[in-house]
Amino acid sequence: MKKIMNKLLQLILVLLGITILVFSLLYLIPGDPAVTLLGQDATQEEINRFKEQMGLNASYLEQLTKYIAGVVQGDLGKSYIQNESVVDIVLSTLPATLELAIVALIIALLIAIPIGILSAVKRGTWIDYLGMIFAQIGVSMPVFWLGLLLILGFSIHLNILPSFGRGDPVVEALLKTITTGNLYYIFESLKYLILPALALGLMSAAFITRMVRAAMLEVLQMDYVRTADAKGVSDSIIILKHAFRNALIPIVTIIGLQFGNLLGGAIVTETIFAWPGVGRLIITAISQRDFTVVQGGVLVIAFLFAIINLIVDVLYTLINPRIRS
Amino acid sequence: MMKEKVKLLFVMLFAVAVLAACSFSNPEENTSSENGGTSFKNEIKIGLDVDATKLDTRLASDSSSKRVTEVVYNGLIRLNTNLEPTPDLAESWENPDELTWIFNLREGVKFHDGEVLTAEDVKYTFDTILDPAFQSNSLALFSPIKSVEIVDDYKVQFNLSQAYAPLLSYLEIGIVPKHIAEVDSESLITKPIGTGPYKFDSWDKNSKIVLTANKEYYAGTPKTEKLTYFIIPDNSTRVASLESGDIDFIHSPLSASDVERMRGNNDFITEEKEGVGYTYLNFNMKNEKTADLKVRQAISHLIDKETISSAIYRGMDKPAKSPLVPSSWAYSDDVPDFEYSPEKAKELLKEAGYEDTNGDGIVDKNGVNLEIELATHTEDPNRIQVVEYLQNEFSKNGIKTRVTTTEWSTFSNNMMEGKYEVALLGWLNLFDPDRATYNQFHSSSGNNYGKYNNPKVDALLEEGRENSEQAKRKEIYKEVATIVNEEVAYNVLLYQGYVVIHSKKLIGFESSPNGSFYSMVNVQVEN
Repeated sequence: MKKIMNKLLQLILVLLGITILVFSLLYLIPGDPAVTLLGQDATQEEINRFKEQMGLNASYLEQLTKYIAGVVQGDLGKSYIQNESVVDIVLSTLPATLELAIVALIIALLIAIPIGILSAVKRGTWIDYLGMIFAQIGVSMPVFWLGLLLILGFSIHLNILPSFGRGDPVVEALLKTITTGNLYYIFESLKYLILPALALGLMSAAFITRMVRAAMLEVLQMDYVRTADAKGVSDSIIILKHAFRNALIPIVTIIGLQFGNLLGGAIVTETIFAWPGVGRLIITAISQRDFTVVQGGVLVIAFLFAIINLIVDVLYTLINPRIRS
Repeated sequence: MMKEKVKLLFVMLFAVAVLAACSFSNPEENTSSENGGTSFKNEIKIGLDVDATKLDTRLASDSSSKRVTEVVYNGLIRLNTNLEPTPDLAESWENPDELTWIFNLREGVKFHDGEVLTAEDVKYTFDTILDPAFQSNSLALFSPIKSVEIVDDYKVQFNLSQAYAPLLSYLEIGIVPKHIAEVDSESLITKPIGTGPYKFDSWDKNSKIVLTANKEYYAGTPKTEKLTYFIIPDNSTRVASLESGDIDFIHSPLSASDVERMRGNNDFITEEKEGVGYTYLNFNMKNEKTADLKVRQAISHLIDKETISSAIYRGMDKPAKSPLVPSSWAYSDDVPDFEYSPEKAKELLKEAGYEDTNGDGIVDKNGVNLEIELATHTEDPNRIQVVEYLQNEFSKNGIKTRVTTTEWSTFSNNMMEGKYEVALLGWLNLFDPDRATYNQFHSSSGNNYGKYNNPKVDALLEEGRENSEQAKRKEIYKEVATIVNEEVAYNVLLYQGYVVIHSKKLIGFESSPNGSFYSMVNVQVEN
C-alpha cells in the first residue's frame, strides 16, 4: 500500500513536469496563433485585440502559473477555435482512441503470444525463422504504408471493409446486439475497427513476439523445467503452466509500454483511417495552432501512460509474489 | 480437472445458444427514390480534407466551413460559374450613386425554424460583421460600409464611406437569423440555421457533418434528401475511399499523382477547372539584393513555368502570367511576362554588376557572391518541390540559393515582419480583381509584405475599387498587372487548379471556380 502511495506521489510530480514541459514547448515554438487563426486578411489591430482577449499578451510565467492553476482544478482552458472547454473536447475523442488501442492490443496479443511461444519452443526450425521474419517486417514497416496497403487490399480490391471512419462505439453496439439479439450492430461496428486496429496492432505484435520468444527461451532453459520434463509432465503443461507463467513478467512490462505506445502511435493510424480520436485531434490542433487543445490532448495521453505504468507495477505483484516483499 | 472441463463445456454450449438466438439483419432499410425507372440513393457522401471550424457564416473563414455554410445559408447574391453576381435573397438591386446600394429582398423566404427573413436580419448580419468586437474574418472585406439602413421589411440600403466596386461580389456571405443570434450569439457556430437548401442535422466533430433537405426551400426542394460530409484527412485515403465506393465525391486539395491516376479511370469523372487562386514568388523590396530590379528580372528569366506545371503539378495547376486569374472576368492574356532564358538572365545580372570573376560558378559583385534565400512553408509538398527545383535552376545559373522551409505560422509571421528575401506562397478566394491586387500591391496595405511602392499603382488600385463599370475596371486591372509584372513586384508562377473527382453515378454537379457546393441541390447518385 505504501508503495502504491509512493508511486502515486511520483505520478503527480511526473504530471507536473509534463505540464510545464508541454506548455513551455508550445510557448517557445515560433508562430503566432492569432495570425494563423485570423487569417491573412487580418489587420494588426484585430490581431492585438485577439491576443488581449485570449490572454496571450501576458508574460510566460503569468501564463504558465495560470495554466497550472487551471490544470489542478481540472480546467484545461478553452479552445481558441471552437470556444469549447478543452476537457470536453478531449474527453469526447478519448473513447475512440481507447477503443482502437485496446482492440489493437488484443490483436497484437492474439498474434504475438502463439507465435512467440512457438518460435521459442521450435527454436532454430523453419517455424522460428518464419516467426522472426514476421517480427522483423512488422517492426520495420511504417504504419501509414501498411494502412494504405490494407485499404488497397480490403476496401478497393475485395471491397469488404470500409476504408475510413468509425461506426457506433463497440460497447454501445454490443449492448444493442445483446438487447435486440441482432448481430448486425456489433458486426457493423467492428467492420470499421478491423483495418485501423490491424494496422496499429501489427507493429506491436511484432515487438511483443520478440519479447515473448526471448522470455520463453530463457525460462525453458531453467532447471525446474528440466525437472518437470523428467517427471513426465506433458509438454503443453510445461510450456503453458510452468514456463509461460514465469516468462510473463517481462512480457507484462512490454505490454504495458506497448499500450502506451499504441495510444500515442494511434496519431498516424487515426489520420490515415480518419478515426476520430485524440491523435487526430492533436494533429488538427497543431496545424491550427490551437495551443490549449494540443496541451490538453498531450496531457491526457501522458496521464494515461503514467496510469498504465502504475497498473503494470501493481500487476507485477499479482503475477509474482516474490516482488511483493 | 474433470469438473473444470464440464464447466467449460456448459459455457460454450450457452454461448452457442445465445448466438443461435441472434438474428442478423439491417434494421434500417435503405430508402431510395425512384425516378423514371432509375433509382437514386437518398444520400450524397462527400469527402473533405479537414473538419469545419465554425458554421456561423459570419465567422467561417476556412474552406470546409464554407462548403457547409454555402448550402445552409443564402447571401444577398450568389456568384455564378463566371464569378458574376446573380440574385439570391436580393431579387434586384440599385446603385443610385456610388456610395449607395439598395437591395430588394425576396419575400416569403423562411429560415429553417419557420421564421420569415426580413430586412432586420440583413441589417443585423452586417452590423455584427462590422462590429470589431465580434471578430468576423470578413470585417476587412466590408470595411467601406458606413451603415446599413432598413427602408422597409424587404428593402435595405447600404451606405458606403467610399466608392467600393468589389462589394457586390462579397455579398455572397450568408444572412443569419437575428431572432436566434441575438439570444445566443454562439449557437450558430455549432448549430447553423439559415434559409438555404439544406438544413443542419448533426456534427460529429472530426468525423462527419450531416445536412438534410429543406423541403420549404424557396427555389425548390433539393433532389437528394441527405448530404453528408465525411472528414478524411489523408489525401490518399480520400481517393481510396472514393474508389472503394465509400464516398461519392471529393475535391481539391488532392495530390497531383492521384489526380493523374484518376484521369485514366473510367468509373470516375475528373473535372478540372481554373480556380480562384495563384501561387507566386514574393520579392522583398527592402532587401538590398532583391531591391535591384535587374536581379528580380534575372530571376524571372530563370523560371520555367511550363516545367513546374507539368512536372510537379502534373498539369493540375497551369502556368500563370499575372495576378489576374483566368476564371475571372478581369482576366487579360495580353500582359508582358518573362520567358525562360538563362542567357537573358546572365546579361541582366551583368548589367546589375554581377559577374563570376573568381570562376566558382557563382556571380559576384565587389568580391561578394550573390546569394539569395528562397523560403516557403512545409504544409504543401508541391511548393517544397518547386523551391527545390528553383534552387537548382538558380544555382546552376550563378545565383547561389538557400532554401528554408518552416511551417505556416512561422512562415507567415516572417512574411509579415519582412524577414525574407524571396518567398513562394499563394493567394486564394480571388473573386474580384481588387482582392488579387489591392491588398498585395497598394503601398498602404498590411499584406504588401515586400513593401512594394509605386504611386501610380496606388492610384490605379484606388480607381479600380471605386469605379463600378466592369469594362473600365478590366482596363485598370490590366494596367496594374502590366506594371507589377514589369517591375517584378510578384512573379506569379501558377494559376491554382480546382479539381473535382466523383463517381460516374453522381449526376447533376456543376463545378464553380470558387469550389462552391451550391449545385449539390441538383445532384443525384444512381443506385
